[in-house]
Amino acid sequence: MFQNRAESLALVLPATLFAAIIFIAPVLILLSEGIRPAGGWSLAPYVSFFTTPLNLTVFIRTLKLGVLVTVAAAIIGYAAALCIVNLSAKGRGRMIGLIVLPLMISPVARTYAWIVILGRTGIVNQALEALELTDGPLRILFSETAIFIGLLQLFLPLMIISLVSALENMPRDAIAAARVLGANWLQVFWKVILPLTKEGLVIGGTLVFTGSLTAYITPAILGGSKVLMLETLLYQRVTIANDFASASVIAMILIIMSFSANLLLKRLATARAKR
Amino acid sequence: MRKILLAASTALLLCSASAEAQERKLVISVYGFAQDAFKTILYDPFEAKCGCKVVVETGNSVERLAKLEANKSAPVIDMAVVATPDALAASRANLIEPIDVSRLSNYDKLYDIAKDPIGGHLSVGYTFYATSIVYRSDKVTINSWNDLFSKELAGRVAFPNVTTNQGPPTLYMIGKAMGQNTPDLKAPIEKVAEHKDDFVTFYVRSSQLTQLMQQEEIWAAPIGRFAWEGFAKMNMPLKWATPKEGQTGGMNVMVLVKGAKNKDLAYQFMDFWLSTEIQTKLAERLIDSPANKEVKLDPKVAENLTYGEETAKSLDLQPADAILDNRESWISQWNAKVGQ
Repeated sequence: MFQNRAESLALVLPATLFAAIIFIAPVLILLSEGIRPAGGWSLAPYVSFFTTPLNLTVFIRTLKLGVLVTVAAAIIGYAAALCIVNLSAKGRGRMIGLIVLPLMISPVARTYAWIVILGRTGIVNQALEALELTDGPLRILFSETAIFIGLLQLFLPLMIISLVSALENMPRDAIAAARVLGANWLQVFWKVILPLTKEGLVIGGTLVFTGSLTAYITPAILGGSKVLMLETLLYQRVTIANDFASASVIAMILIIMSFSANLLLKRLATARAKR
Repeated sequence: MRKILLAASTALLLCSASAEAQERKLVISVYGFAQDAFKTILYDPFEAKCGCKVVVETGNSVERLAKLEANKSAPVIDMAVVATPDALAASRANLIEPIDVSRLSNYDKLYDIAKDPIGGHLSVGYTFYATSIVYRSDKVTINSWNDLFSKELAGRVAFPNVTTNQGPPTLYMIGKAMGQNTPDLKAPIEKVAEHKDDFVTFYVRSSQLTQLMQQEEIWAAPIGRFAWEGFAKMNMPLKWATPKEGQTGGMNVMVLVKGAKNKDLAYQFMDFWLSTEIQTKLAERLIDSPANKEVKLDPKVAENLTYGEETAKSLDLQPADAILDNRESWISQWNAKVGQ
């Protein structure tokens, strides 16, 4: 559009400067705390972080829950998205509206609702007891299960929306063609739907995984200090111990985890396409 | 039009500049809670009395201490209120100076416990609270801190996290109940670790507890008396335990910043805050329990506070130096044994 390269560069400059000053510079300053703890260069904060057993437990727990939530969201997301794209235009709009609706409610309110639902006298335990599946109420609150449920509910809409738009872009007769050629439903999904919608999966997966890693309110309320995640640990280090070096290390780990997840998902998507 | 605006704003600037030159200013550093009430009860009347301006800085104690340390060479803040261990930390860092109590006309009215909480007249207590256990009296009885580990209460107790203000005092009393009362809290932390699956959660905010009690998630929790009101209002058979080992608690104190620019105002302000009138008003609004023994309260109000000579005498407070010297080690012990 712009013939003159300098002209186009000049147009990008304000936005770039804005991002650099408001976002990139503060992040770099924050991360530098982790390698310059007392003014001098040192990797000590990283070494001490990874040699503390509690930190390792928290790191593994965060990674595990992030992966579990992303996989669960992908499975439920595909089922929901496939149903939605088969609806009439009107029905589709309504369903999308319903899915987006929770995103408009504060995560604090949504998470507090889970305290009531998952509690000892909550609807989940009442149902389990009525169906005689358990002897007494289960303790779900303040456990990894509670965090898993909370995070899944929080981020599932992002996965569904990404998959719906990917499925909408898929040629309409691809599924029918595969069926006519003798593929069973599993083969249709694995060989036709998945390759054709992998970009939606990459976007949804990145959003859900990154969201699960960086969510604070849900693990804080549903897990508490008994089930620490990296985010809640970070908060504890800063507010209680005034320990910015550890906080910086945790921030760095979260950034690396988010980028790696995105790269990994992209790699998986292209690897399948090459075959 | 532009000229008029310019003239008007210049006039305004000049006015405010000269006002600032005349006005005396007291800078205080306090906890962020109930600031609206503090403004009407304490700051506004004091401003009217002294003809000065009160500038309020708020935050948690970690942030506020960090700020004092950062401005050590040129103090901005004149007086601060903190918990006793933080006052001791500030004194060790050479950030505060002794208070000349002869300049506080209300000093003699204070309960003995509040007169010199960390020694050396480095602080004056303005409020204290008891810590004990709130429990469902229809389900269990609690006569000892050890009852938190009883079979009946397994899976029904929210325990304060070691990082909260209620955590260490609770562990301290458990140590007493066990007969192993060492400042490192080793025995009680190990006991909690042994029973960690029996605790519903290690709470960080006491405001969360009323909901857990309402949902019958918990039947008991160690809390500070300041949180009792929320439970007393619930339509449930709840009681405040008086364990045989006694109740513990905590105290907040006033400190004078070393090299403060407005020492006179700081003394006047401290004295005003400790006066019977102000202490009564703050108590009646259920903000701070009075440290002034001349404060007379309606029994209904007193019920929600830590009040009276007898209560003040019965409090078994953890020594500030024990808290300060061991806090880091408690957290690392806790994280290693309980936290994972």
